[in-house]
Amino acid sequence: MALDLLSTTTEEAPPTRTLRRQRLLTALATRLIRLVLLLTAVAVASFALMSASPVDPVDAYVGGDIAAIGPEQRAQIAERWGLDDPPVERFGHWLGQIVRGDLGQSHTFNQPVVDVIANKFLTSLALMAVAWCLSGLIGFTLGLIAGVRRGRWADRVITWWAYTLASAPTFWVGLLLLYIFSVSLQWTPICCAVPVGTVASDVGLLDRLHHLLLPALTLSLVGIAPVVLHTRQATAVAMSSDYVAFARAQGERTLGLVVHRVLRNAAGPALLLQFSSLGELFGGSVLAEQVFSYPGLGAATTAAALGQDVPLLLAITLFTTVFVYSGNQLGDLLHTWLDPRTRRLEAAR
Amino acid sequence: MVLGVVLAACAAGVDENASGKSGAAPKELRLAIGGESEDGYDPTLGWGRYGSPLFQSTLLARDADLNIVNDLATKHSVSADGLVWTVDIRTDAKFSDGKPVTTDDVAYTFTTAGRSGGLTDVTALAKAVAVDNDTVELHLKRPQSTFVNRLVSLGIVPKHAHGKDYARKPIGSGPFTFVQWDEGQQLIVQRNENYYGTEPVFERVVFTFTSEDASLAAAKAGQASMAAVPSSLAKTTVSGMKVVPVKSVDNRGVMFPYVADTGKKTAEGLPIGNNVTSDKAIRQAINQAVDRQALVDGVLEGFGSPATGPVDGLPWYEPSSAINGNDPSKAKQLLDAAGWRDNGGVREKAGVKAAFTLLYPADDTIRQGLALSVADMVKPIGIQITAKGVSWDVIDKRLHADAVLFGWGSHDPTEMYNLYSSTQAGIEYWNTGYYSNPIVQENLETALSATDQAEATKYWKAAQHDADGNGFGPSADAAWAWLVNLQHTYFVSDCLDIGKPQIEPHGHGWPITAGITGWRWTC
Repeated sequence: MALDLLSTTTEEAPPTRTLRRQRLLTALATRLIRLVLLLTAVAVASFALMSASPVDPVDAYVGGDIAAIGPEQRAQIAERWGLDDPPVERFGHWLGQIVRGDLGQSHTFNQPVVDVIANKFLTSLALMAVAWCLSGLIGFTLGLIAGVRRGRWADRVITWWAYTLASAPTFWVGLLLLYIFSVSLQWTPICCAVPVGTVASDVGLLDRLHHLLLPALTLSLVGIAPVVLHTRQATAVAMSSDYVAFARAQGERTLGLVVHRVLRNAAGPALLLQFSSLGELFGGSVLAEQVFSYPGLGAATTAAALGQDVPLLLAITLFTTVFVYSGNQLGDLLHTWLDPRTRRLEAAR
Repeated sequence: MVLGVVLAACAAGVDENASGKSGAAPKELRLAIGGESEDGYDPTLGWGRYGSPLFQSTLLARDADLNIVNDLATKHSVSADGLVWTVDIRTDAKFSDGKPVTTDDVAYTFTTAGRSGGLTDVTALAKAVAVDNDTVELHLKRPQSTFVNRLVSLGIVPKHAHGKDYARKPIGSGPFTFVQWDEGQQLIVQRNENYYGTEPVFERVVFTFTSEDASLAAAKAGQASMAAVPSSLAKTTVSGMKVVPVKSVDNRGVMFPYVADTGKKTAEGLPIGNNVTSDKAIRQAINQAVDRQALVDGVLEGFGSPATGPVDGLPWYEPSSAINGNDPSKAKQLLDAAGWRDNGGVREKAGVKAAFTLLYPADDTIRQGLALSVADMVKPIGIQITAKGVSWDVIDKRLHADAVLFGWGSHDPTEMYNLYSSTQAGIEYWNTGYYSNPIVQENLETALSATDQAEATKYWKAAQHDADGNGFGPSADAAWAWLVNLQHTYFVSDCLDIGKPQIEPHGHGWPITAGITGWRWTC
């Protein structure tokens, strides 16, 4: 046992199975504790921000009907939402609810927060997943091509395109696509996740995909540019390395070189980026959903924020935190697994 | 003929194999007018507060001229003390689940709405009693002639089916029944075959809840028969569609602090009063000097009308309260007579300069345009207005001491009462200028406690301008300078005849459906 422990300090000898499991558990526990701390901080900060907001939730709810709503009625609204208590007490009450697994009731949607998030997230998930895969695949492929053909016209076109995309606002791209494909060519629908006027039972998978296409394409554009540029860089570095030069000298073709020597090296940064871009993906979905009237979590976030819907907004914030945090951690793990050098670096620390 | 129908149907973006019962009318109508009710379709929480709850029917209704007509009620009367409203209801009405609409349901609806913290204010109700199978008594806490608006706007819900899920699966006795609501996307409704009133021509109506850009895009792509657009987009042309501007009481005006600044403060410590706008001559001169038609043409791009009061065009509007046109020379005379002397471009009286600040919410481009234009228009008569775009947060703190550019507009004269009654001074955004005039106040109170709508209307009019020349309107106290009424703009298919729309309240979109049972397909 003592010998085993010793041997792990050297790089070459692989650790025993129990030790590996132990290490994994410790790592997992650390990450979980970090997540809990992060969630607490996020919850406190968001609640404080919302309490300090000058928007009065009752005013926001009443909106244009202010002429017809008297003080008595306003008091009733405040009471229905439990706004009468001081902020600290409300936060405590909310926290107690959360611990018991109850996320509360959304004012805006007059529905339990859990239901709102479950409904909206499923719709958003389809959109984000498709967009995420598209941006990853397209970005990686284009980055590879640009990296292999560095300095040639293909590289120049791709790089120029990536820079243009990086500086184009999502909603503007969305509107442009909407105008070209939906209004002028009429290939794609104008709005919504399902065909207009069709009863739910008649909506097929193809219909859904058809409605998903344009918003997903728009959203995927957000993530393409960084993946292209980083992949291009990693590919270029790999292509100019000694081992590639050696392989080339031995007569290996470019395609073979890319597949056998470059792919794995270039995939590391791309994957890391892809997973850490979940936050941006979420932000982009808010805009894309607005443009295409796609009823996901992004649209719900906007509604909750405008209406000072504290329970819903807090829950969405927490949910997003978990989502983004898990993405980052996954990216981290995959990167380590793909690129052993990072592992050695960590061991050296 | 058949080909023609099909072509027309295609052009309007409706179902191609549509051939409704009434001959040429398509089966399905698609409307992109926005106005999604995110918290569902429960009238006791505020759904249908504009008076067209679609799924539910109301006791009374307003026709195209906003006169009150019976709907579910066959007659109604108010007791001499104004405290008990007795309503007889028809007995042949059925909910869409086949059960009859009873007086129990009516009483239940009013009681529930009175207790729920929603967007319809029924707090004046003490209790609702079902007397027999066709009579309901609504007992009020205080006489209130405007309670009639609750009878117009509150949709009757079935007691037996009004539970937690009701807002998402409404059942009612209105012209349409609920089919499906894809939140954030569309609402599909079906003609109610049990409906006792005029049968709608369209078997199905689909409301899409798209952003304004997407609504316009849908109209252009022929996927909607009607689209609500902001007036800035109304100048575009869409083939097969016409622009229909609908009059509204969605108005904008300048609220003047009415009392002088004596250092008085509200309970929250906010300053009250303004030594310039407290002078009647200043307020009247501004009302005289402002060229309202120029504001309509310049700021609203023609989609609006000059405003002469808070209730233009409504049945309780008093025409003699208005100042028609503009007359800067008369404005100057008024100021001269009141002792405001010119002093280097800006008038002065007893050491006070004729200068004040006009606040508007900075993110509202229409109000910005109006505020800046008004400031320009009064400059030649020697009044200096500093138009200042700020956040609502700032307005909330300064609204009793600075002039503010507000927007109002309602089918309910309660609003007029709130804006000018001294009992509402300093409450909410209502009488923020602390306006008070005992004669006007008496007229307002008499109108509010009247037991007869005609009587109430008489006194609502008198409050604006009475036979002795008193009133809050521009021709008397000029407590506000009303500027413009907006028009709401819609793209409507050339084939769709929507008849004469009502004058719409504040809020674009849903109110247009008030006359939906009368809409016709003309192609």
